Amino acid sequence: MSYDVAIVGMGAAGLQAAISSSRKKARTVVLGRPEDSALYGAEVENYFGVPRTSGKELLRTGMEQAESFGAELRQEDVIEMSKSEGGFKLLSDSGTEIEAKALIVASGIMRKKLNIPGEKELFGKGVSYCASCDCNFYKGKPVAVIGAGSEAAVSAELMTHYASKVYWVAAELDASEGLREKALKAGAELVSSPPKEIGGDDKVSRLTLEDGSELEVNGVFIELGARSTTDMAMDLGVMPTPEGEIKVDKDFSAGVEGVYACGDITGKPWQVAKAAGEGGVAGERAAKYARGL
Amino acid sequence: MSGNIVTLTDNNFDSFIEENPLVLVDCWAPWCKPCHMLAPILEELADELVGKAAIGKLNVDENPGISYRFNISAIPTMLVFKNGVMQEPLVGVRPKEDIKKYLQSKM
Repeated sequence: MSYDVAIVGMGAAGLQAAISSSRKKARTVVLGRPEDSALYGAEVENYFGVPRTSGKELLRTGMEQAESFGAELRQEDVIEMSKSEGGFKLLSDSGTEIEAKALIVASGIMRKKLNIPGEKELFGKGVSYCASCDCNFYKGKPVAVIGAGSEAAVSAELMTHYASKVYWVAAELDASEGLREKALKAGAELVSSPPKEIGGDDKVSRLTLEDGSELEVNGVFIELGARSTTDMAMDLGVMPTPEGEIKVDKDFSAGVEGVYACGDITGKPWQVAKAAGEGGVAGERAAKYARGL
Repeated sequence: MSGNIVTLTDNNFDSFIEENPLVLVDCWAPWCKPCHMLAPILEELADELVGKAAIGKLNVDENPGISYRFNISAIPTMLVFKNGVMQEPLVGVRPKEDIKKYLQSKM
């Protein structure tokens, strides 16, 4: 499917970008899940013109608004981004391929840390946040992959090619069926109790679960949420900061032609007013770029 | 790559550590994306800290001996040596100022 503007992220920034872009007559698609937006669980009382409302309500109205101007909303996670002849190509976890002339990254800041005992202490000593970086160090060793989404599914499958045993620790699976089946078929064993503590003296030796059971592992890969968008953006030549933010100029261009970023991913303050403001500008600029204006 | 960054291997690693009083070794691999985020930061630091700290890069894929010896299980990992003695390593991508401050605290 081909569009003028593809937007990754269905929060305040992404939806405002979609409203602005579709009002400029650009064929616009938004990919993401509103429940992944930081706004989803928030109460909002500091947004101009709205005395007090729930984030859910703002998102619901915003989605309706975007659709009313012609934007298409797809509640799917993007798992791959690449450059293509006419602009950019995106692949979603349901297998949808999207082509677009301009791309807006509005995926927010991903929660990466679990915040359980042992996680910080054993980082780099068996705890990793990047399976594709560190898989090679766990040849023939048992590991656990923690996370319920697409990123965890991809990592669990990857680790079966290296590790002697892969436990996939996920309380409520959120990954698409295709990716889930692939990981399980490759031999990852699903464990449904939430993780409680990572243990080991100098190196990781075990993962304790909430139900009291213990997994003997040498590696714990923490892969929360969907595949990190900043990680994928690097495939397009966008270079995030060490904090995982994307730096933009006054037009919200991310430094690569046709790629824009807005919302929490460009830095603090993480507020709906900033996200919507940036989304409005990014949507307009991307639409103009895509339509050659 | 900055002319001030030295490419290290299993063969020249020990002499590099011995010859320089303060050393940072970036353990990386070509397929590691965070490693690519760190690379330009270290290039700048190598230029800024000429004569104060020596910075080297070691490809862990091509040099398994050093990775094994220092028990590296995540990349990027920055090994730091002062007068040949290993200090607490830095794991993961860090902001430039953090790395600089850490090295300055060892000078």
